[in-house]
Amino acid sequence: MATVTETERGALTHPDVTSHAEVNEDVLSILSRPGKWWWILFGLASAGVGVLAFSWGYQLIFGIGATGLNSPVGWGVYITTFVFWVGIAHSGTLISAILFLFRARWRQSIYRAAEAMTVFAVMTAGLFPLIHLGRAWHAYWLFPYPNERLLWPNFRSPLVWDVFAVTTYFTVSSIFFYLGSIPDLAAARDKARGLRRKLYEFAALGWRGTDREWHHFGKAYLFLAALATPLVLSVHSVVSWDFAMAIVPGWHATIFAPYFVAGAIFSGVAMVITLSVPIRKIFGLEKYLTVRHFDAMAKLCLVTGLIVFYAYLIEFFMAWYSGEDPERRVFWNRLWGHYWWSTWIMLICNGFIPIMLWFRRVRHSIAALFVISIFINIGMWFERYTIIVTSLSHEFMPFAWNVYRPSLTEMGIILGSFAWFAFWFLLFIRILPPVAISELKEVLPAPYRARKKQEGER
Amino acid sequence: MSDGIKRRDFLKVAGTTGVGAGMFGCSTENVERLIPYVVPPDDITPGVATWYATVCGECPSQCGMWVRTREGRAVKVEGNPSHPVSQGALCSRGHSTLQGLYDPDRVSAPMQRQNGELVEIGWEEAENLLAERLGASGPANLLLHGRSGASLSRLMEELQEATGGRRVEYDALAQAPLREATRVAFGRDVVPTFDFEASRLTLSFGADFLETWLSPVEHARGFARSTGATEEGEKGRFVFLGSRLSLTGQNADEWVPIRPGSEAVVALAIAREISDAGGDAGPYQELLQGYDAASAAELAGIPAETLQALAADFAQQPSLAVGPGVAGQHRHATAANLAVLVLNAVAGNVGQTVHVGRPDRTASAAAFADTEDAIAAMQAGEIEVAVVHGANPVYSLPGTSAFAEAFANVPFKVAVTTQMDETARAADLVLPDRHPLEAWGDSSPRPGVYAVQQPVMQPVPHFDSRPWGDVVLSVARRLGHDLGEDTFHDYLRASWQEIHGRSDEAAAGFDAFWRGVLRRGLVEIAGEEEAEPSLQAPDRALTFEPPAFDGDEGDPVLLVHPSSRFGDGSLANRPWLQELPDPVSKIAWHSWLEVNSERATAMGIRNGDIVRVRSSHGEVELPVWTYPGIREDTVALAMGGGHEALGRWAEGRGVNPMRLLPSEAEQPSGGLVHLSTRVTVESTGRRRPLATIEGSSEQFDRPIAPAVQVDALTGEPQPEGDGERLHELQALGGFAPVPTDGLPEDYPLPGAQYGEYDPETTARWSMAIDLDKCTGCSACVTACQAENNIPWVGEDQVLMGRDLHWIRLERYYEGVDASEPGPVDIRFLPMLCQHCGNAPCEPVCPVYAAYHTPDGMNAQVYNRCVGTRYCANNCPYKVRVFNWYRFSEIPEPMNWQYNPDVTVRAEGVMEKCSFCVQRIRERENQATLEGRGLQTDEVVPACQQSCPAEAIVFGNIRDPDSRVAHLARNERTYRVLDVLINTQPAVNYLRKVTFHPVTEFHV
Repeated sequence: MATVTETERGALTHPDVTSHAEVNEDVLSILSRPGKWWWILFGLASAGVGVLAFSWGYQLIFGIGATGLNSPVGWGVYITTFVFWVGIAHSGTLISAILFLFRARWRQSIYRAAEAMTVFAVMTAGLFPLIHLGRAWHAYWLFPYPNERLLWPNFRSPLVWDVFAVTTYFTVSSIFFYLGSIPDLAAARDKARGLRRKLYEFAALGWRGTDREWHHFGKAYLFLAALATPLVLSVHSVVSWDFAMAIVPGWHATIFAPYFVAGAIFSGVAMVITLSVPIRKIFGLEKYLTVRHFDAMAKLCLVTGLIVFYAYLIEFFMAWYSGEDPERRVFWNRLWGHYWWSTWIMLICNGFIPIMLWFRRVRHSIAALFVISIFINIGMWFERYTIIVTSLSHEFMPFAWNVYRPSLTEMGIILGSFAWFAFWFLLFIRILPPVAISELKEVLPAPYRARKKQEGER
Repeated sequence: MSDGIKRRDFLKVAGTTGVGAGMFGCSTENVERLIPYVVPPDDITPGVATWYATVCGECPSQCGMWVRTREGRAVKVEGNPSHPVSQGALCSRGHSTLQGLYDPDRVSAPMQRQNGELVEIGWEEAENLLAERLGASGPANLLLHGRSGASLSRLMEELQEATGGRRVEYDALAQAPLREATRVAFGRDVVPTFDFEASRLTLSFGADFLETWLSPVEHARGFARSTGATEEGEKGRFVFLGSRLSLTGQNADEWVPIRPGSEAVVALAIAREISDAGGDAGPYQELLQGYDAASAAELAGIPAETLQALAADFAQQPSLAVGPGVAGQHRHATAANLAVLVLNAVAGNVGQTVHVGRPDRTASAAAFADTEDAIAAMQAGEIEVAVVHGANPVYSLPGTSAFAEAFANVPFKVAVTTQMDETARAADLVLPDRHPLEAWGDSSPRPGVYAVQQPVMQPVPHFDSRPWGDVVLSVARRLGHDLGEDTFHDYLRASWQEIHGRSDEAAAGFDAFWRGVLRRGLVEIAGEEEAEPSLQAPDRALTFEPPAFDGDEGDPVLLVHPSSRFGDGSLANRPWLQELPDPVSKIAWHSWLEVNSERATAMGIRNGDIVRVRSSHGEVELPVWTYPGIREDTVALAMGGGHEALGRWAEGRGVNPMRLLPSEAEQPSGGLVHLSTRVTVESTGRRRPLATIEGSSEQFDRPIAPAVQVDALTGEPQPEGDGERLHELQALGGFAPVPTDGLPEDYPLPGAQYGEYDPETTARWSMAIDLDKCTGCSACVTACQAENNIPWVGEDQVLMGRDLHWIRLERYYEGVDASEPGPVDIRFLPMLCQHCGNAPCEPVCPVYAAYHTPDGMNAQVYNRCVGTRYCANNCPYKVRVFNWYRFSEIPEPMNWQYNPDVTVRAEGVMEKCSFCVQRIRERENQATLEGRGLQTDEVVPACQQSCPAEAIVFGNIRDPDSRVAHLARNERTYRVLDVLINTQPAVNYLRKVTFHPVTEFHV
């Protein structure tokens, strides 16, 4: 196995990797050997999905009262987790679409995993609007379907925009993900046999790798990337408008769209780091996920993290500057009130800890990055919790103030949602090549050069 | 909903989720078959309500009531506007009478104790048994009964005369000292009535006249008319002298926090000041010389100048002093009541605001001393048969009274009751009585006022009950005594022959008269009032000094007061009342100990800390609620909790404060002493969160409940609305342009720009609430709950903040100081859906469940709601409530009360105040049927109908003649938060008016 040394930090792949065949072998071997750890994780994830199903079932049967929600806190950890997962979903498209258009070559090794993460994160996020409904069985009323009573959704409601934004994002990111995987599916097909081969054959759409196919593929990919790019900005802007369009003090702020988009990319990249570190380790992908990749992702984290931190400070400033008591008191309460811990977790994890990424030594330490990325994930979840819960609990009418405590059912569903995500992600790394084989080959050093060098040495 | 998850539930959940896909929607499981009337009854038209006039049986004030019945079921009670006492209003307890009627825990059949267990028997057997035992006992029998109607009382009297047994009247909240004081002062053995409306300066020496004292609904109306600011800017003043601000005290303009027990000396000192300034004290002139302001002030712990200033004001204008009330019945209570009556007499109030010649005839003034004698007789074995009717002495007497032990000593004990209460549990024979809404009866609250209580429906079939009057007649007949009639209905009619003879309608036949009385609910006969007497020399020596209290000097005095929700506790099994946040503490479902906030801080206890309260007579444990409105040397505990029987909603809730009191009769009135002991309060280290609806009682710097000083009132209408501020807001951008001067009738409706509605012909529903009149009594909350099928949610849900009331009676402290006399400023704000013209809830609903009607209401379409709760999040007033569970599934027959005109909401939908849209539509339909338009102020929502203070006015603001349009221009009118967030509410509030300077919020 190749090891990374100090001098190799700048490379996109390990210099030892020289042949295309080796790439195929290394990546496709992941699909063939499940390993003990995979089974343990998969078992845990499946159990977690069971917890999700049970908790949700309990809530459906007994009522949404199974949550800890109350009046005035009508939204709690469900919407928090919804926004969290939508945020996570951002980096995939960002890495595969925007960075593709900008020709950032370091994306090649990570984009497949990031895209898969996007699709599964949207699938997870999409559960929550259903779960949090008082009457989930009527959720389809939010869709504009023709009916004999001429009833339509209220197009002024940000929740309806949400429906469109999230479903569009899910559709586009799934297609993008699938399209990009076709050459790799074909590679997998060529190695596989039996039932797997049949499935890959079907999924690869008869890909043969001809010039003509590559030509069309490249064009399609480019166009889809161009189409997906605005979505990266739009989805989380729309999600932020769920809050910004309301008049709740602490929500009603024009800064929300850029603030949420930055936060989404921040959390999404952090999640990519969190996921790719163990994959790299478990499947021995050190050759393809080099320090250079992590360095680039850390820089992205740093930039977006600073934007987010700036947004926090501006929010506090604007609350003070507004001179209005409801606004000021919400922010005062965030810092020193009942939910101070949530706010401080958010500030420390998202504002202060990522400052360490200024240091190259930190950026080049995989272990440090892993730890920081976990902190960012935690911090970003609490950011949404802080925004949603502290604002609702201290609104305009002081006599109606109240606090909210998540119930066991909610905890079960939140934990279950992580398991649900893990469940799909674990399946993904066993079924699809988690690293884009075809694109990796583009960044390999030209094989003949390496051979020449070796020959010269002889 | 269940507290824990049971095995069966687990399997249900696991099974459903195991199947995976949720299978929802149509189910044939719960379909009931609807069968039309084969032979329709003559007097029932499906879908049309029938109203009956009757009398409220929930407290001795016996207000007149109208009962709305639908398809033979009583669904709503309202005040009878032609009743001279209650004048159309009703309190929360009155509304809850329906829950007494449909209480599933009512006694279902006669029961006899056999081998230690109560088993059901038939009525024939039960009556035979009672007659047999009564016959065998001869005169060794006791009938202990509560306050009942005039004819029933007389019938019971006749029964006891026939059997030769004892008859004792017992009422836990009896006004015996007031009655004795009136006798001493004026030579009349009556309870006087008090006219709050005529008073310009009212002093209350602790009497909670807006809550439980005598006739609270009548008092509230008069009080609000007196102290509510008029359009000209006039306002009567109210000073509360007492150790704890009850709800009545919270309505005061000034609080003089006197030491408990010092009422008499304070009242006499004020009287002395007035008498020195020329007031006529009659035979009390000499007595008054012994009381001067300085020493009285010293005893009461207040400055003497306060008393002198009060005296000067009190003599100058029509005034009224009342007190000290049931909670203040201490060992010198007769003297204290006498002192207050003397004060009134010196100030010339007798005949003006105090009416001895028009006494309160229904007030219970029974002496506890009689009950004490009965207990002694039972203990001595002199009683063979004891019958208890309409009272629950085992619960409501002090634990040390030994009533329970004495009762157990009686060989045959009979309880006649609707509820299986503590006394019935101890009985050998339990006879289920009819609820007042199912039975005949009558009442005469004032001279010349005679009201009939008539059954408004067939008896609820779940309970095999019999009217007590019928049972008395039947048992008497079995004993060989003929009391005149076969049924109590005939007996009642017979006794009304005499009233008929005196009435104006004497010339017409009795049947026509009787039908008229049944329709109106009452008859008034002029000229039955007596002349007002003057002061008499006292015929016995009384001590006016503060009484002694049991316990150590340094410990706080325990003030046990009647609950404004449960009275003496007999109404505790009604979820509406249990869930109604107490008007003072805002706590529901359990008891609390009121401790002064500063004292609590010094003791190191916080809200919700469980303390052990111990007197020399008993001890209880309960959580603390810290309250700035109580003196540091006093702690307070409400009656009504701690039931061991009565029903599922009452049992085990709270504590019974009577367990801490001695069993002692005051001399000379014989009234039960309530304010008698000091207690020790120690922390147990445990906690119990308070089920309160109070978030913060401070309104910070927000335009929520502003006030205005009376001197700042001009008496001129408001020339314009908040136009300037709104225009300024709009200039900042982000708002839809509002071409309005900020007047509510001009607010453009959503869609108006598309020509959707015609502003000329469409009504625009609006409300005005006068915060200077609102007393915070919460009658509107229960009225709304009854009208609109609002379920209760239970203590655990209230604790989570999930109560479903459509009206939240907010209470903000602006100035409360228990350490010295000074202004009290406590603001009440009934917060309900504001039906905003620019409603934040409407645009955010993804499915149009929240939308604006053409007549200006913010409607909620329950069937369309999917439960995103976004509207509630975006509602700045926080008036939207959510059905977290299937709260509307309530036990049979409680669900008989549901109003068929209002949807019963399912789980998972949002709801809120609808401005009683069903009533608006009902009036509109009626107008259409009659071929006319709606009349001005024709529509009256449930809250307005009930409000004893007349604080709520509803109507069409586009109609220039309507009261609401008029009030919207009042100089005190404002709209909550409107200037901050431009919501353009349809509810106009009129500022509270204070006598002290107030700070204006800044915008």
